Amino acid sequence: MDVLDQLGAVREGKLSRRKFTKGLLTAGVAMTTIPLPVRRAMAAEGDQATYFTWGGYDIPELFAPYIAKNGAPPNFAIFGGSEEALTKMRGGFVVDVSHPCNQSMPRWVQTGLFQPIDTSRVTNWGDVIPELVDLPGNDAEGDKVWMAPFDWGQTSVTYRTDLFELEGEESWDMLWDARYAGRLGSLASGGDAWWCGAIKAGVDFADIDSEEAFEKIAAVMREQRPLIRVYTDDTTTLEQALSAGEMVASMTWNSSAVLLQAEGIPVKFAKPKEGALTWVCGVMIHKDAPNLDRAYDVIDSLLSVETGHFMINDWGYGHSNRKSFDAFDEETLAGLGLSTQPVEILQAGHFQQPQTQEWETRMNELFEQIKAGF
Amino acid sequence: MAETSLSKSEVARGAPRALWARLTRFLRRSETARGYLLMSPTLLIMTIGIVVPFIILLVISLWTRQGFSFDTTLTLANYARAWNEPIYGALLARSFWISGVATIATVALCYPMAYYVAFHVHRNKMMWLILMTLPFWTSYLLRVFAWKVILGYEGVINSGLSAAGLIEAPLAFLLYSPSAVIITLAHAWAAFAILPLYVSLEKIDKSLLEAATDLGDGPAARFFRITLPLSMPGIIAASFLIFIPTTGDYITPALLGGPNGAMIGNLIQVQFGAVNNWPMGATLSIVLMLWIAALALVFLLVTRKVQERIT
Repeated sequence: MDVLDQLGAVREGKLSRRKFTKGLLTAGVAMTTIPLPVRRAMAAEGDQATYFTWGGYDIPELFAPYIAKNGAPPNFAIFGGSEEALTKMRGGFVVDVSHPCNQSMPRWVQTGLFQPIDTSRVTNWGDVIPELVDLPGNDAEGDKVWMAPFDWGQTSVTYRTDLFELEGEESWDMLWDARYAGRLGSLASGGDAWWCGAIKAGVDFADIDSEEAFEKIAAVMREQRPLIRVYTDDTTTLEQALSAGEMVASMTWNSSAVLLQAEGIPVKFAKPKEGALTWVCGVMIHKDAPNLDRAYDVIDSLLSVETGHFMINDWGYGHSNRKSFDAFDEETLAGLGLSTQPVEILQAGHFQQPQTQEWETRMNELFEQIKAGF
Repeated sequence: MAETSLSKSEVARGAPRALWARLTRFLRRSETARGYLLMSPTLLIMTIGIVVPFIILLVISLWTRQGFSFDTTLTLANYARAWNEPIYGALLARSFWISGVATIATVALCYPMAYYVAFHVHRNKMMWLILMTLPFWTSYLLRVFAWKVILGYEGVINSGLSAAGLIEAPLAFLLYSPSAVIITLAHAWAAFAILPLYVSLEKIDKSLLEAATDLGDGPAARFFRITLPLSMPGIIAASFLIFIPTTGDYITPALLGGPNGAMIGNLIQVQFGAVNNWPMGATLSIVLMLWIAALALVFLLVTRKVQERIT
């Protein structure tokens, strides 16, 4: 049936009744069936909570209790750096739960985009390591907290033990080693790289907001830039490059080293003599969270022992639930750079400190310029 | 009282009809008005989708950043920064260089293909064209990732070359470099070159070619005196279609460019992301638009002069 023929027939008044009903039937069937998959997809999206998180955390393994309760994992939205995430939400992107780190949390609270967490609604709250809750800026509003701690870990150097010839101790100098120019990698977000630069430059984190610190760190970052093959926030890119030997060393989080070791690739997560960068990340609830009940399900799932086992065993991250560590012996944990006494690790490392918005913006602007070669 | 109210309601009832009659009379008389009426859906969309956002962009570019909000006093400070700080000019120049080379490469590679279909294929031309554009039915992002696999350290080219014993270690410069961006852009935009080139070549009157041969031109002279000048509109259209969008391309340099392959689109993106300076991002977008417009004008004038010279 040609559409134009039909239209011509209508105009000439020659359309038979049978043909007319046939046409109507076709149109009706088309109208009702075509949008069906679309509608169904949208319904599924509306049902589940939306979790706005770092690339890599968008996997069902972290949500076994959530899936058991709600039938499907939450919806994921991904960011590469927490500053990018905040800008996006300030631009009107509404999610249920998001995933900042301790260093940016006070600024996130200041934006007024989030609501405090009612800890009585989180069933696993009693097992959370109290030192992780007791972060600067997290104590407003009495017994309520803004950020429920979820994961903690380190940013350090993952290197190929067979390709990288170590001179002396493990150190941040490895990522400034001119012998391996073009075979070193780095995380792209200033939230990691700038702080690691501060450690390398010997700047105390307490003085990071000073003219002198900016100059010193910028100098080391500029020195490193020609040696770097690629700056990326995509951990998979770094892991693949390390496994192929395209890179011999890269700035990564714990998980990259653990994942590569599980694949049988000879890599090591360095314990730099200057100390690694330590961070604690957690979850915050958006003030307009459309699925508040499921937002609490997301938090409960992330804080559960099940998720903690996965985080420690498969990724080598610390978890905020004290009980998650019980299944591992001291030796295994030490091999992962963790401990049954997580507080010791946190205190031994360089702990990121909250900064002002002006500092954050200036740092990001400068770091972007340096990455572009200026 | 009763009479006046009656006449009023009569007037009210008659008014829309009179208005309608007036409107149709006006439309019948004025051709311009009819034209605008026909264009009105498009005009409406253009206004909502292009003019209004452009004005918003222009206004934001005259603001300045203040913490997380904007200082709404109008100033040209951002434009001064874009002019004075070397990073913006350098990235603009690199963007024009990369997309210029990509444009030339694409047109040069697609010309023979379009030429072949236009002159040497006589049956199923449509199928040939569809086959040529078949790779472009997949998503742009997938094609970029495919190039990442091809150019990668353990990618198709490197493993092929090392299997053939031609190289010892994989060629690192293939990926994360401006050349990777050029190669990918040249492939990704090929469909936009083939179609305009084919159309302009197809339109060439074959009897002109026969006449040239009769008058003693060899194949090369015939190509440069007849085919090339007559296909110039296609070449110009293809160049514009590729050069303008690729200059502001974001995803290809982001995935394949590495530190030295970043383009102005990446810089604009970070202004709206991590750097959080929307006014500066808006300024850079407008500066980019102005530059593209200026370069396009120059290109148009040059090609027109060249065309006058050779015809």
